[in-house]
Amino acid sequence: MSIKVKNLSFVYSPKTPFQKIALDDVSFEINDGETTGIIGSTGSGKSTLIQHLNGLIRVTKGSVKVCDIDLTAKRPDLKRLRSLIGMLFQYPEYQLFADTVFKDVCFGPLNFGFSQSEAEECAAQAIALVGLDFDEVKDKSPFELSGGQKRRAAIAGVLACKPQILVLDEPTAGLDPAGKREMLELIKRLKGDIIKTVIMISHNMDEIAEYTDRVLVMDNGKLIKDAPPRDLFSDISCFNNTGLKLPHTVNIASILKKRGIDIGTPLNINELVFNIKQALDGVK
Amino acid sequence: MNNNLNIDNIITINNASVIYQKDNLITHALTQVTLEIKRGSFIAILGRNGSGKSTLAKLLNASLLPDIGEIFVDGINTNDESRAFDIRSKVGMVFQNPDNQMVATIIEDDLAFGPENLGIPRAEIRERVDWALKTVGMYEHRLRATQKLSGGQKQRVAIAAVLSMAPDVLILDEATAMLDPRGREEVMDTARKLNTEKHMTIVLITHYMDEAVCADKIIVLDEGRVVTEGTPIEVFRQVDLIKKAGLEFPTPAEAAFKLKTLGYNIPVVLTDDELVEALCQLK
Amino acid sequence: MRDVAFGQFYPADSIIHKLDPRIKLILMVLYIVGVFLVNYFFSYIPVAIFLLIIVFSSKVPLNKVIKSVKGILLIIILTAILNIFFNKSDNVIWSWNFLVVTDGGLKLAGKLALKLLFLVVGTSMLTFTTTPMGITDGLESIMKPLKALKVPVHDIAITMSITLRFIPILIEEIDKIIMAQKARGAAFDTGGLIKRIKAFLPVLIPLFVSAFRRADELAAAMDARCYNATPNRTKLKELKCMPRDICALVISAIFLALVITLPIIWKVLQLPLI
Repeated sequence: MSIKVKNLSFVYSPKTPFQKIALDDVSFEINDGETTGIIGSTGSGKSTLIQHLNGLIRVTKGSVKVCDIDLTAKRPDLKRLRSLIGMLFQYPEYQLFADTVFKDVCFGPLNFGFSQSEAEECAAQAIALVGLDFDEVKDKSPFELSGGQKRRAAIAGVLACKPQILVLDEPTAGLDPAGKREMLELIKRLKGDIIKTVIMISHNMDEIAEYTDRVLVMDNGKLIKDAPPRDLFSDISCFNNTGLKLPHTVNIASILKKRGIDIGTPLNINELVFNIKQALDGVK
Repeated sequence: MNNNLNIDNIITINNASVIYQKDNLITHALTQVTLEIKRGSFIAILGRNGSGKSTLAKLLNASLLPDIGEIFVDGINTNDESRAFDIRSKVGMVFQNPDNQMVATIIEDDLAFGPENLGIPRAEIRERVDWALKTVGMYEHRLRATQKLSGGQKQRVAIAAVLSMAPDVLILDEATAMLDPRGREEVMDTARKLNTEKHMTIVLITHYMDEAVCADKIIVLDEGRVVTEGTPIEVFRQVDLIKKAGLEFPTPAEAAFKLKTLGYNIPVVLTDDELVEALCQLK
Repeated sequence: MRDVAFGQFYPADSIIHKLDPRIKLILMVLYIVGVFLVNYFFSYIPVAIFLLIIVFSSKVPLNKVIKSVKGILLIIILTAILNIFFNKSDNVIWSWNFLVVTDGGLKLAGKLALKLLFLVVGTSMLTFTTTPMGITDGLESIMKPLKALKVPVHDIAITMSITLRFIPILIEEIDKIIMAQKARGAAFDTGGLIKRIKAFLPVLIPLFVSAFRRADELAAAMDARCYNATPNRTKLKELKCMPRDICALVISAIFLALVITLPIIWKVLQLPLI
């Protein structure tokens, strides 16, 4: 398995009046090849959790293991860990800094000890992979790019390090509808081609329902549910107190059910339409 | 003043164009936009990034003047630079990032900033600030630090800070883009309440289709032009145009559209409940 | 980074919070003068009492106050160490090669460290108990006479207020950027000085870009809210001197007088001047 978290707890400012429990006895395992969604309202512990995964926060209670790296060890190999697990924070375009896109994308690989030529090769590949025109953007300042392009450049900067696991914190935040769709398709494509495992935080339940195989639900620092989206959304009782909403498709199905039409738990628009069609035709 | 103005319209845009020149290239940010916004209406403006939405918003509060054409706010031509502050006090604007639009650390101090700038007498500022805080439901928090609030609360304070100038129009320029679902709902509830209870004209610029469906009128921009306008039903009926403008459909509308192409007799619907209702009619 | 507490307002309902910001600004000036006038260890006794009274009556939690020192502890320690070694007077206490520690050096280092400590705690008490808006209003009111000389008093004041408001936001931002670059393999804690400074470029550049973007957006928001609409700006909160303000001023003046006269009293009483 690629990630194993056991009894992980974390407290900010412990033993002060500002003490805040961010994670409370969280345990789960993520296997190679999965696309996992993490959902939960703001302040539920999602960000603290993913920061543990690549050693940005030291494990204080419980254990975290990523591939063969034990993060509870005295001196875990953080460099190798961070090259294995690529992390994109919210609005990643704000981490761009170099004078050209090419140099910015090379920054990661060079830090991880790639040779100059290796780094440049990986950077060129990564830029093409995210759908940017290499010749057009490589000598441009990253600050000249449009909003969507900047985000792609930032993703390229992480992909160039050849990670096996990709963690994304709200990758579609602030994008327009077309940009959102492209970003999700990009993630889906990467998952098939070069990334083994994807972990994605999102507030958008429609995205979660359509694009993940498994969902972790965080609430007040606790992991309250760990299930495939279909199971999760077919039992909506745990949603009542978390401030989370149902995906539209599931919401439509649940209202229909109250009116006596059962169409199951559709996770995307095509399933929804197909299930409705079957229900309607069955009646006829 | 233009005598042909319809006084039912709080904002009238007459053939306005905005032109940028960059590296000897002339680009049109807005091309020949003509629009009317009725007093007390709820308008949504949709369009992909770079379609001219924010440029249009800037025209409405005279922070940008059109290169061609003219805009009237409550009868005042925005080209009349001596009236710029009158216009800005009539057209309040709330922006995307809540942190970057507050000047004060304490909520009520931030609300006072606008009316203080306008030279409103002290007693009236106090009244306006209290009224605005109550209207957005933040009165009990008035002495708290802005930094400690949730995203939704911060944006409600930003709305209140604009309300304290007693505007006729409230523009929300992607004001929900950085919020979580709960925060978005708080802001949308506030906007709807202002519209129905206080008859405030709302101009909502957004990327979220399900926010736009509650508007009286949707305006779709693409490449600086108004490509369509009308009620949500009228707009989302135009399938090809919506796709071409880089927009998406609310999930129920898309489902209804797909079912229709499969041969079912389903009208255009906008909300989950409407879709269910239409399906139950079919049965 | 998140632990830096200097310059942040701590809301509480206390007499210190309620004082007129102008009075607090004047008190701070008096206090700074007092601290600078101190030449002997014993003179710190009235200063310490004065400061402790303020800290405890302000209802600001003690650990917040201690945190404000933490931020510049390194500077205090460095200053002290430099003074220990560079001041060579009186009796040598300890020496090794070129390093010589004298009791004069130790005394001077101790006094300087105390001086810095008292300055930091004192000034942070002002920001803990006064909103940036309050400080702005106070400064503006004190500087009012300068308006006649065409000094843009209000602009200066509001700039200060905004600076204070954005300190915590930018600190949080630095945290985020550092994390993002660490995730891309950046190392900030290895190598020599030059290498470390260079390693900070990937943090500093995005920080500046972001600060400028924020400044742009803030300017637009301020314009939209009619900033500079009229020279006759009004104020929601008028500064009013209350009896408690006068009391505070009198008490502080007494303390200052005590600090100044204490060495004389000491001499008269023939106590050791340390």
